[in-house]
Amino acid sequence: MQNGISRRGLLAGTAALGAWAVAGMRPAFADKATFAIPRDPIAPIPAGSSLRWVDSGDNKARFYKAFMPQYSDARGGAKIVYDGLPWDQIGTVVPLGIRNGTAQDVFSLPLSVSGAYAVANGWVQPYDDFMPDLAAWKAGFPAGAFLEGLNVFGGKTYGLPYNSGRMSSAYTLYSVPLMQEAGFDPAGKPLSWDDMRHAALKITQAGKGQRYGWIIGGSQVNRWGAVVRSLAQASGAAGGGSGPWADLDFRTGEYLFDSDAYVGAIDLLLAMKTDRSVFPGVMGMNAPQARAFIAQGAAGMILQGPWCVPQWQVQAPKFDFGSARTPAMNPAQGGATIVDAVASVNNTMWIWKGSKNQQLAADLFHYLGTVQGQTDWVNIVGPGDPPILPAAAKAAKISPRAQQVLELGETSVRVGPNPLVRNPALAGVTAVFKAPTPGFSATVQGLFSGQLGNVKQAMTELKSRMNAALDTALAEAAKKGSKVSRDDLIFANWDPSRDYVQADYNAL
Amino acid sequence: MTAPVSPRPTRRRLGARLWAARMEYLFMLPGLILFGLLIGYPMVASDWFSLLDWSGFDAKSAFIGLGNYRELWNDPYFWGAFRRSFFFMLGTVPMQMGLSLVLAIVLNNRLMKWAAVFRTAIFLPVVAPVAVTGIVLTLMLSPFNGPVNGLLMSLGVIRAPLDFLGSPDLAMPTLIVVFVWKWIGTTMVYWLAALQTVPDELYEAARLEGVKGWQMTLFVILPIILPFAIVIALVSAISALNVFPLIQSMTGGGPFYATEVMEVYIFRNAFASTAGSLPRLGYASAAGVFFGLAIMVLTLLQIASVRWMRRSTRDV
Repeated sequence: MQNGISRRGLLAGTAALGAWAVAGMRPAFADKATFAIPRDPIAPIPAGSSLRWVDSGDNKARFYKAFMPQYSDARGGAKIVYDGLPWDQIGTVVPLGIRNGTAQDVFSLPLSVSGAYAVANGWVQPYDDFMPDLAAWKAGFPAGAFLEGLNVFGGKTYGLPYNSGRMSSAYTLYSVPLMQEAGFDPAGKPLSWDDMRHAALKITQAGKGQRYGWIIGGSQVNRWGAVVRSLAQASGAAGGGSGPWADLDFRTGEYLFDSDAYVGAIDLLLAMKTDRSVFPGVMGMNAPQARAFIAQGAAGMILQGPWCVPQWQVQAPKFDFGSARTPAMNPAQGGATIVDAVASVNNTMWIWKGSKNQQLAADLFHYLGTVQGQTDWVNIVGPGDPPILPAAAKAAKISPRAQQVLELGETSVRVGPNPLVRNPALAGVTAVFKAPTPGFSATVQGLFSGQLGNVKQAMTELKSRMNAALDTALAEAAKKGSKVSRDDLIFANWDPSRDYVQADYNAL
Repeated sequence: MTAPVSPRPTRRRLGARLWAARMEYLFMLPGLILFGLLIGYPMVASDWFSLLDWSGFDAKSAFIGLGNYRELWNDPYFWGAFRRSFFFMLGTVPMQMGLSLVLAIVLNNRLMKWAAVFRTAIFLPVVAPVAVTGIVLTLMLSPFNGPVNGLLMSLGVIRAPLDFLGSPDLAMPTLIVVFVWKWIGTTMVYWLAALQTVPDELYEAARLEGVKGWQMTLFVILPIILPFAIVIALVSAISALNVFPLIQSMTGGGPFYATEVMEVYIFRNAFASTAGSLPRLGYASAAGVFFGLAIMVLTLLQIASVRWMRRSTRDV
């Protein structure tokens, strides 16, 4: 750590911040792209149709802001309004619009709201009647993209699952020169936990107070849970799911918080903290700030999602970085990131039940579900929100780095069981589940900051709290008429080394 | 003989009185409508929501009476946030009032050169957007090449950089200092206004009596502006309890709830759904109502203090 303020350093930092801010204000990709929009709609669109579309923005906004004007022109000048909002605003704007009868025609569901909940509460409508070649169109998607209980209900298709769920939010993203200097090549030889710790230490020691081995956006509490979960899953912890059953071992129906893999992953972070190879001040920075320090060469590696790749490519084009699978306790164990669906649940789009513009929405859904539409998508969005059609990922004109991180999704991510597919009535549990405080991510943050003590004890107590909350929610849902039980969360035939597919659900 | 009958004062009917003051009421109407929409309705709605088990997501809700309040009573994180809110207030208000009073007295001196420039400089942070201030200060306070740590190290105050916002022990004191720096300009302006009420004749009389320097401040100025202190303390206290944007932008209530004050707690429960769980608008409303009542009690105490102070000074 330097002693005192270096004027040159301050000026350089200010200039870098300014450049970063300016870069952040311009689109990361060319917005003058042209799109191969079919000349004719899939079915006649009623005159006067219009469309209001809202999702969580980010990379997606770049696509839609470029695409929507051209799509409007191709559909006779239909008025189309696109809004990209942060998730917390989605959580208020969409439900409020539904209650007031003014919701957008197409929307993302708020986080923590399942499709089953939305259907049961009359928020959304199916689009089967508006897509003449529905069966053929759906056949173009990978197996498991459309599943009863996820986006299909009572045989009707409600959701558009157009982004892949095969993605980890904690890949190893690193500075190639710093990692090489430390003697590691994560892309060539995946890191073990010991490797990760040693690499971080070596980078820190070589940096002499100007570089650190590992960084995390620690003020974003969810990052702590995501990182520990991914480290544990990569090490063989068969914990999958999301919502109330996140981190549940579906083979036994028990939470994994106090397992060796989870406890070991937290011990790894604490060991790096003891080594002083964690970037200073991580508790006070968010994920984008942490990402920026990697590109500036101040930190060697971060466990983050593929959305960093397009950001770095645009904002720091000379930054030499690599991506690799999440470090594992023992890479030979063959652990994998477990996701709960082939398709990204958060990015699935839904048509509001009160919308009268279903035909226009279905026409747009159709384009987004074709290889052409998906290729147009990935060419602009990049690997941050990967396309669901593998053919589009292969056809995309994206950088080798972006292609590499997309391939990681195919090789290091497995689809686990999804309880909602088995029993959609479990949506009643998600509606009444009250997560305990502190939850998983907050507990990890508290352990790292030193506010909580014994790791094993803290994680055992967390498991106990989660069990109590889940049992209470199951009982409450059952009392309200949902036919649910904890047995619905046990998938004895699950083999975490491969995808859990429809045939497995049928075999239960 | 009958006693002379004095004419009874004519008591105008309510309708007549309202009609007579119709223009005044007309001018009050826009304010009343805005008050009703923006303050009255949300307050009443919060009271009602606090009695519901409701996520805020859909029309379905269940009336649970005082169930949310009972749960709050047993929630250590609620009491932690409640305690931190008042700790924050007690940490900021005396410092803010004391420092701003000193600044106001110094800058009120007509002989002082560049007083207007200093006043502007001190007031400048007040007009800067809170979120922007929070983000910039996060960088300034960073233990990695942050200028504040650099300065303290170059002055020899510290040997190693401090993690101002990441350390559970330092985060809250840091926020208190930042808050005081951000808002001290407002309090200084209040004090300057109070100082304008001290008549010039009083200064002259005191000087003739041989009063000088700190004695002038202590025995002449302070007794006169003391009643203002209660009002300024009230305004500052309420301001210190409404600190959501600053804390949210600088620490988000962390690390591990170390800076979670009531507003952040309410936001976390009302909107920021934790993993796997829907938000709890009903529960958050109960916390808001409880906290609102606590502030009301505080305000009533301060109003009582003002009245007591006025009576005391009148009796003198």
